[in-house]
Amino acid sequence: MRPTALGLYATAIYAFLHLPLLVLAVFSFNSSRLTHWESFSLIWYKTALGDPALMEATFNSLVIAAFATVLSTSIGTLAAYGLWKKKARWLTASLSVSLVTPEIVTAVSLLALFQILFRVLRLQLGMHTVVLAHVSFCLVYVVMVVLARLRTMDVSFEEAAADLGATPWQAFCYVTLPMLKPGIIAAALLAFTTSLDDYVITSLVAGVDSETLPMIIYGMARRGVNPAVNAISTIIVFGLGILIVISQRLEQQK
Amino acid sequence: MTLRRIFLAPAALVTIALFLVPMAIVLAYSLMTRGPYGGQGMPWTLENYQRFFDPLYGEILLRSFWIAGETTILCLVLGFPLAWFLSRSGKRRDLYLQLVMLPFWTSFLVRTYAWVFLLRDTGLFNTILLSLDLITEPIPLLYNHGAVLLGLVYCSLPLAILPIYSTLERLDYALVEAAADLGAKPFETFRKIVIPVSAPGLRAAAFLTFVPSLGTYLTSDLLGGGSTILIGNLVQNQFTTARDWPFGAAASLILMAIVLIGLVVVTRNNEDIL
Amino acid sequence: MNRRHFFLALSGLAGCTRNSRPRLNVINYSDYIAKDTIPNFEREFNVDVRYSAVIEGSEETIAKTMSGNSGWDVVFPENRLVFPMQEMSLLAPLDHSRLTNLNQLSARFRNPNWDRDLRWSVPYLWSCCGILCPRAASITSWRNLWNEQYRGKITMLDEPSEVFAACLKVLGHSINTDDPVQLRAAQKLAIDQKRYLRAYLNTEVRDQVASGDVQAAQLWQGSAQLTIDSAPRLHFVHPSEGYSLYCDCVAILAESKRQDLAHEFLNYLYRPAVAAANSRASRASSPCTNTNESVLASGEWFRTSSGPTQRLRDRLWTEIKSA
Repeated sequence: MRPTALGLYATAIYAFLHLPLLVLAVFSFNSSRLTHWESFSLIWYKTALGDPALMEATFNSLVIAAFATVLSTSIGTLAAYGLWKKKARWLTASLSVSLVTPEIVTAVSLLALFQILFRVLRLQLGMHTVVLAHVSFCLVYVVMVVLARLRTMDVSFEEAAADLGATPWQAFCYVTLPMLKPGIIAAALLAFTTSLDDYVITSLVAGVDSETLPMIIYGMARRGVNPAVNAISTIIVFGLGILIVISQRLEQQK
Repeated sequence: MTLRRIFLAPAALVTIALFLVPMAIVLAYSLMTRGPYGGQGMPWTLENYQRFFDPLYGEILLRSFWIAGETTILCLVLGFPLAWFLSRSGKRRDLYLQLVMLPFWTSFLVRTYAWVFLLRDTGLFNTILLSLDLITEPIPLLYNHGAVLLGLVYCSLPLAILPIYSTLERLDYALVEAAADLGAKPFETFRKIVIPVSAPGLRAAAFLTFVPSLGTYLTSDLLGGGSTILIGNLVQNQFTTARDWPFGAAASLILMAIVLIGLVVVTRNNEDIL
Repeated sequence: MNRRHFFLALSGLAGCTRNSRPRLNVINYSDYIAKDTIPNFEREFNVDVRYSAVIEGSEETIAKTMSGNSGWDVVFPENRLVFPMQEMSLLAPLDHSRLTNLNQLSARFRNPNWDRDLRWSVPYLWSCCGILCPRAASITSWRNLWNEQYRGKITMLDEPSEVFAACLKVLGHSINTDDPVQLRAAQKLAIDQKRYLRAYLNTEVRDQVASGDVQAAQLWQGSAQLTIDSAPRLHFVHPSEGYSLYCDCVAILAESKRQDLAHEFLNYLYRPAVAAANSRASRASSPCTNTNESVLASGEWFRTSSGPTQRLRDRLWTEIKSA
């Protein structure tokens, strides 16, 4: 392929990837429900932001994503470090399998677990079950990203630290961890967005007070096209976009 | 090394409690009998698995395979040139890479919904075509096989591009030039140098697109209009409308087994996917 | 409050949330209650109500509550699901001494065949399933939906029971048949219809009928009326062969720790003004007002199907979808 042809092709693929979301964003500012452009209006944003259920779901989603991210990132980073120099066959295997388990199967198995657990412990489904479920599927992503970063690092730094009398814990804290920072940030970001986006698993393990944004959006989408959904979607896309840009900046400052 | 043990402990705990134990429960359920009004109970039975050996369910599996396969091939074919473009894009590479990833970061549901918005009869495509007088009546774009395929490709494409890109990035372009200098035809260079080098990436990309597409049920629901049934829908139905948990569990495990076989095939050279 | 609840929950203390006001968790379908029903109840009884309208189908009610630890107090199962839910010990018996407003129910709904003497549930709203189409269309029966003229312009509900009901009515059978032969004949009809169908859609079809993309849609009357309110050129057809009737009932879960408040809520729902407002908002019929006898006369109530029939139906449905 000549460079220009390749460039054209790339432009086409970028258009394919981005136009649908752009169109969605543009029409969220349309005053009409229909796909004909009528006039600029913020009415759908007003509708969306004025909907208490939607706002609460957004809040729930953010809280769940925050907890799931912190938990899965810390557990996953430690695990990746543990797996770096020496493999743990069964753990690596289980994590790989959980990575490829179809979402619906994960969802069903977690629901079955919570049911049995709660028959014994008398606990209810709710935010805590959603957080646990999210930690379970975010963990492998974190391990994957952090491990990839670790593999690009040189073991000799730690060895040098050890030679200079550092304990393994000190070597981890003062040598490896700082070098891992970009990898950890990337992993946390992946965990956060995955958690924020999940519908299949969340909808099965959610109980009272734990409706998330994707659940509400799916419910609305099932009831027909609704410009308020365009408005929320636009906010999500741009919100996440800004988040990514910020995290990139942070990483580059390093 | 005790530090390593301590570091692995939380992850081991999470994996056991939230993955292995749940899977064991699903396995147990799949061997039980459906209660008269739902739920699961005694006696133990293999019937749920036997039920699956039925042309009907075989056909559903085959259909799921087919659409997941189509998605995978389309993603690889569409993704490869872009990955090539990325790996050769020089200074702006980071920006271009971010542009590929951006849709991936946004919500899956939103991306699927965007296509509903574009494809329906009063959607953007039909509105434009109608106003240009190219068509007199809206063409049905939504609720068919093509729409589901489009949705799946759209959602998986970034996942396919990245692994291919990461292997192509490591390709020493001097090799390609050397091959050309030695008189190799472009296709030959491609087949003998580029493909072998990028094979791990292609395999990873294929796997990353195939697995989610195989288990999908949201895309087929929203874009397919429920006129067909895939294995994901079958499993989901058993846990909701049909209330047949044991059969749903058996179907889940069969789906799981197929994915595992795929995993073994992909990692047969003893390379871990992690 | 949410955040505190969350922390409590995390530390394993869920269920003993310290809340200033008592609260009640109610789960229902979307568009199924008047806007001020819940706020008025909260104000009058000084409680918080968590009212959630995320479920779309009746089966989801069972799926969500089957674990016995869902956290909900009040649910709205469809009449044919009351018995299975009771059999699975999910429902609490009702204390009629606390439900004084039930004398508002019309006689027909005081002793329905799905729950004699209303021991486990009370009818909330009832309606039927028919066809939403433009007034101009000459559609009067289910049979009209097997028509080349509407190819690609028809939708059926994505609910096995309703699709079977329509097909069984075309064949002149009961919608509750257990006869495999009749069910298979209905299935054949449904498969035959697929070539005319655009899709199997539930309430999301409303916009598409309103915009004219879909010429005829199998739909529940309440949803259809809500569409007609904004698109008067449409009307709802009660198919001439007969149709299914369903009644969404309100019930209290056995797991609920707030049985008293739940009873208060049930009783509140049957105040004449509240019942009328809910019926108006949802466009479904209230069991309290004069019943529309002509609608009831040609309809047939759904019944609980037996285990083997349910399984056969599920299989036949999977075959329809696969065809």
